[in-house]
Amino acid sequence: VSTALDHKPLLTHEVGSLDKPGWRVKAYAGKPLSERDLEEARSWGEQLVVPDYQRLLDLLGHGNFSKEQKAEIQRWSSLYALRLEETAGLDVVYDGEQQRTEMYDWAVKHANGFERRGSVRAFDNKYYTKAAVVAPISLASPYHNAEFSYLVSVADAELKVPVTGAYTIADWSFDERNALDTDLRAPAAERRRRRHEARRDFVLQVARNLIRPNLQALIGLGARWIQVDEPGASTEPDELDLFVDSFNASVEGLDAIFSTHLCFSDYNLFFPAIERMSQCRQFAVGFANYDSRELGTSDEARPGYQVIKKFRDLPYKPALGLGVLDIHSDFIESPELVRDRVLYAVKVFGDPARIHVTPDCGLRTRSWRVAFDKLRSMTAGVQLARQELRI
Amino acid sequence: VDAAFRSDLARWVEVQQGAGLDFYSDGLLRWQDIFRPLVESLGIKPHTLVRWFDTNTFFREPEFSSLPSPSGGISIPFPSAGSSIPSPSGGGQGGGLISDGSVPSPRVSTFPSPFMFSRAARTSLDRNRLMVALAESVLRPVIDAAVKAGSELIHLEEPWLGYYGIAKQDWAPLRDALEAVRGKQGATLALHVYFGDAGPHLDQLRTLPVDAIGVDLIETDVATLGGGWDKGLVAGVMNGRQSLVESASSIVEVAGHLADTLRPPALYLTSNCELGFLPTSVAERKVQRLGEAANKVKELVSV
Repeated sequence: VSTALDHKPLLTHEVGSLDKPGWRVKAYAGKPLSERDLEEARSWGEQLVVPDYQRLLDLLGHGNFSKEQKAEIQRWSSLYALRLEETAGLDVVYDGEQQRTEMYDWAVKHANGFERRGSVRAFDNKYYTKAAVVAPISLASPYHNAEFSYLVSVADAELKVPVTGAYTIADWSFDERNALDTDLRAPAAERRRRRHEARRDFVLQVARNLIRPNLQALIGLGARWIQVDEPGASTEPDELDLFVDSFNASVEGLDAIFSTHLCFSDYNLFFPAIERMSQCRQFAVGFANYDSRELGTSDEARPGYQVIKKFRDLPYKPALGLGVLDIHSDFIESPELVRDRVLYAVKVFGDPARIHVTPDCGLRTRSWRVAFDKLRSMTAGVQLARQELRI
Repeated sequence: VDAAFRSDLARWVEVQQGAGLDFYSDGLLRWQDIFRPLVESLGIKPHTLVRWFDTNTFFREPEFSSLPSPSGGISIPFPSAGSSIPSPSGGGQGGGLISDGSVPSPRVSTFPSPFMFSRAARTSLDRNRLMVALAESVLRPVIDAAVKAGSELIHLEEPWLGYYGIAKQDWAPLRDALEAVRGKQGATLALHVYFGDAGPHLDQLRTLPVDAIGVDLIETDVATLGGGWDKGLVAGVMNGRQSLVESASSIVEVAGHLADTLRPPALYLTSNCELGFLPTSVAERKVQRLGEAANKVKELVSV
């Protein structure tokens, strides 16, 4: 992995989640499967050349699944997702988080100290479940070991494990350990100071007591590249130092390659704070959402990518995972559009080895058909860029 | 889906009635973000997702390549007064723009402040000109329609000013925009500044052509509010971003303090920001507690 990460120019990988197929969701929920669900399992199995997929079809035909059968169906879902990414031509893959409930919920579910509170809107009519921290935080059980062990046994391509980061988990949670604003007649500055102290304690507890031991468990199983997902990192612009401290507390001294995923933010906010994240070997960042769909490699043609100069100038020279696919749209970026986004980034960095190519974020809000077409277009675009660059 | 919306709205109204609130809201249940129905009613399809201040909620940026004009034709799906079903306000473009008849009176209707609307937009236009145009051509007709449908309190959300502040030269255009919004519609007009400390802006805020100013008391020091208010005060006394439910006594204490020291002509007790950042069950408990506290305050100050 280290060789690929450091030396393969325009390395391609996914970022994290994929949608869960209807057959996987319904089977796990104990709901009856329709003919359409079975056909989906059959047609993708055939298209992706999933070995022995007929066994999945036989299993799905049973109904009334036992706990072990549900776990087996989840593994099939992982295998399908893995094959989808490998077939699309990605260099580094995972399973689209098929065995997790959701990036936040899955982590919190395996932690001590949290209680679920209910769902809140993220955007449009998409919701996520929030929990509150009510007691000291600790790892209840390592929560990516089972999926990782399985994927190691079936993956052809290199693996990168996406793990939700400490800052995001804390930011997406309520903190109910202390009631801090009980007297609104008290000076606001003092109340604010107490909130900041509590927040810092919360974030660093998540880093030290939940994320770090979970990473150690993964590394013990042989995980070499771990991507710390931090979509919430820039939520509070005055807490970028805290985000960096939480990353460092999570990974410092651990023997693996660490990268970070950032998305849907004003990325200018991350500077200069992330200059202290020297153990981060790559930043995978979403840009396509902010970019034009016109072709071209000039500054004017690529408005969504102007900030990448700041990543180029980081003192420890990390790679940039260049988000080239808008994950909130069914629009299929053409290979030529991907090519131009990549060529622009290479021009800015002056070194194709420091550019990796990725979607903006996980593709779970897109259908598998759209996700597959987007990823294929992405790898085709990278091929065009390689031809252009003669590498 | 419509049935689910009707059920959720009925539940939300029931919670507000049970709490004994003085104004009833439709909770903007059909709004995907604070701009969406307004923008879609202009025939604009918003695209880019942008973080809603420092929350984990995102809105789609309104995009304006030209100024909206009075003749531009905002399409207001207008529910019949007294209608107990959401259609035609439900679903589709601009769905839920005006509260339907199942929300009892007196009603509060919430819209974006013209300042925030113009600042959150993606545009290359002059933002102050856009602000006034949005006030005249978008907000004014919608607010007129809301008032005609029974709204007695118009609540303009203004987190932009609280979070980012405002340049000195932007106060005059904001005043013009609020004059345009105000018109002759006859309802009480409140501008609610939140997600930040309103203290530094109060001198200017109190001169704006609105009936009430809202402040976020999680972020604003009560000591900065001064005294002798000649406008209503919308006091954000419950934290819409914290799941712990405040005690009634803590709300009563701060409300009593505000009533005694500021003596505003009207004191509105509410949350510091929208309740959409809370799970529904928590939001409902907060509303119940707010009503409980407000009733105690009324007894104390003999309103």
